[in-house]
Amino acid sequence: MKLETLNYDLVVVGAGPAGLTAALLASDAGLHVAVIDEQAAPGGQIFRQPPSTFNAPPSSAFASYPFGQKLLAQARNNIRIKWYFSTCAWGVFHPEKGGVQLAIVEGEHSHLLDCSKLLIATGAYDLPVAFPGWTLPGVMTAGGIQTLLKSQFLCSAQRYVLAGSHPLLLLLAGQLVDAGAQIEEVAIARPRPKVCELLAGWRALPGHWRMFGQLAGILFKLWRKGVPLRFSTIVTRVQGKEGVERVTLSNVDTNWDILPGTERHHLADGLAIGYGLLASTELARQAGCSVNWNPERGGWVVDHDDTMRTSLEHIYVAGEPCGVAGAEMAHCQGRLAGISIVAALRPDSTLSAISARRALGRAKPFADTVATFFAPRLDALTKLADSETLICRCEDVTAGQVCDFLKKHPHVSSVNSVKLACRSGMGPCQGRYCQHTVAHLVSAERNIAVNQTGAYTAQAPVKPIPLASLALVQQD
Amino acid sequence: MPDSRRIEPVADLRPAPIQILVNGHKTFCYPGETVATALLGAGARGFRRSVTGTLRIPVCNMGVCYECMVKINGLEAQRSCMTLVSPGMCVEVTDEA
Repeated sequence: MKLETLNYDLVVVGAGPAGLTAALLASDAGLHVAVIDEQAAPGGQIFRQPPSTFNAPPSSAFASYPFGQKLLAQARNNIRIKWYFSTCAWGVFHPEKGGVQLAIVEGEHSHLLDCSKLLIATGAYDLPVAFPGWTLPGVMTAGGIQTLLKSQFLCSAQRYVLAGSHPLLLLLAGQLVDAGAQIEEVAIARPRPKVCELLAGWRALPGHWRMFGQLAGILFKLWRKGVPLRFSTIVTRVQGKEGVERVTLSNVDTNWDILPGTERHHLADGLAIGYGLLASTELARQAGCSVNWNPERGGWVVDHDDTMRTSLEHIYVAGEPCGVAGAEMAHCQGRLAGISIVAALRPDSTLSAISARRALGRAKPFADTVATFFAPRLDALTKLADSETLICRCEDVTAGQVCDFLKKHPHVSSVNSVKLACRSGMGPCQGRYCQHTVAHLVSAERNIAVNQTGAYTAQAPVKPIPLASLALVQQD
Repeated sequence: MPDSRRIEPVADLRPAPIQILVNGHKTFCYPGETVATALLGAGARGFRRSVTGTLRIPVCNMGVCYECMVKINGLEAQRSCMTLVSPGMCVEVTDEA
């Protein structure tokens, strides 16, 4: 075990479309750059590739986002950037000498990276939804099933129900059909789109015909295979002995509230949950960046100015942490952040942000349309949990325990107080899976806005790390 | 219990198999697979038991949920979805196939 302190102009956390774009741009401009990512290879979740040891074609995500192929090729060929893969960034510190210090752990090895600027491009993760039975083996996020399928060629089950409201669910449906899996039903929570809504979405079309074409192809494939696709339908319960056996769906109204008496069941051994994404903001929050509550864009999202700088002078943000908006927006924001960082560190730089801002402007209508069209109703989803439902999967805390505590302690109105008293959020996922559910329970019980319940305090280490590596850092 | 299986969309997709030990039993898997894939492919019923004893297997497959934690080469609480297999690796799960 060793501890090294290394110096960089720019350290980027996250090797997805936002982080890679910024890192490559900054490196080309002569900055000394390091990139940190938990995965073993560049691309983030959206461009996750089959293992290099497999004889497989590259990811189909390149069909939707052609820029990805070039981005990954450039990343793989760039030996000036210091790449830290399979490495976890767990804390941001503000040394007295100035700049920023990032703590990372790679296996048992800890490093402290000193940098002039830090870019947080930590992406997003599938929105967890707590409903009766959601902890049974076989219930997975849509993203989890998809990454197993497309980067590991493993089908997690044989008979699926897909439930959610995010377009990823349809993409997954198409991929599962291609893999030979059976789909009992695709249940979309939002109502069937009205003609006027579709017409209002016209601004999303320019530059995205390819994507709409793909979507049409998937819908045709599902129709040909006889896979039922139903709107205004939500998953309400999963039953099984030690795994998914029976999935219950119900019809919902336009507010996603359940219509009594509309229950129906499917026999299945797999359930995909795809109601949307939450922004990964733990590192940004631990660093002290200010955030705002934006439920349509992934919950708590990081504030930034028009150069992608956060509320802290040396920390920038790009991609999903500043509002879930997809790979194209992440790519554009990464470019803008890269240009801003180069301009801040190299005042003589001739890089112009004009074309980056234009590209961002072109990508925005599509992202905005998707966000409003598929926005998850977090309030309605929280109501799916009954008193026995585990809302914290790590510490096995039920919704009933949280509600009982709130009833007994009428002064409590923050998620942090619930965390301290009920242990929800104290397990290894550090609240990533329960925070928004707890927030909505507190909001409903106290009749206050969700953003008034706050966020779990993000503390270093923002992910569990070996104690030994922490001890080494403290010795320093 | 979900019935997982490897698929082969193109011929000769996978390299030659290797062996790992799962609860002491020899288990085949392929270089490039994660420990989570190897366990699901081998039909593991549960990766870990929760604090109240319920069986859990991977949920997010991207290192967020921590439901796929297993013991790998003597180290507790390793995320199997983030760890690649290597020959002779010793993996311990709560409930094997």
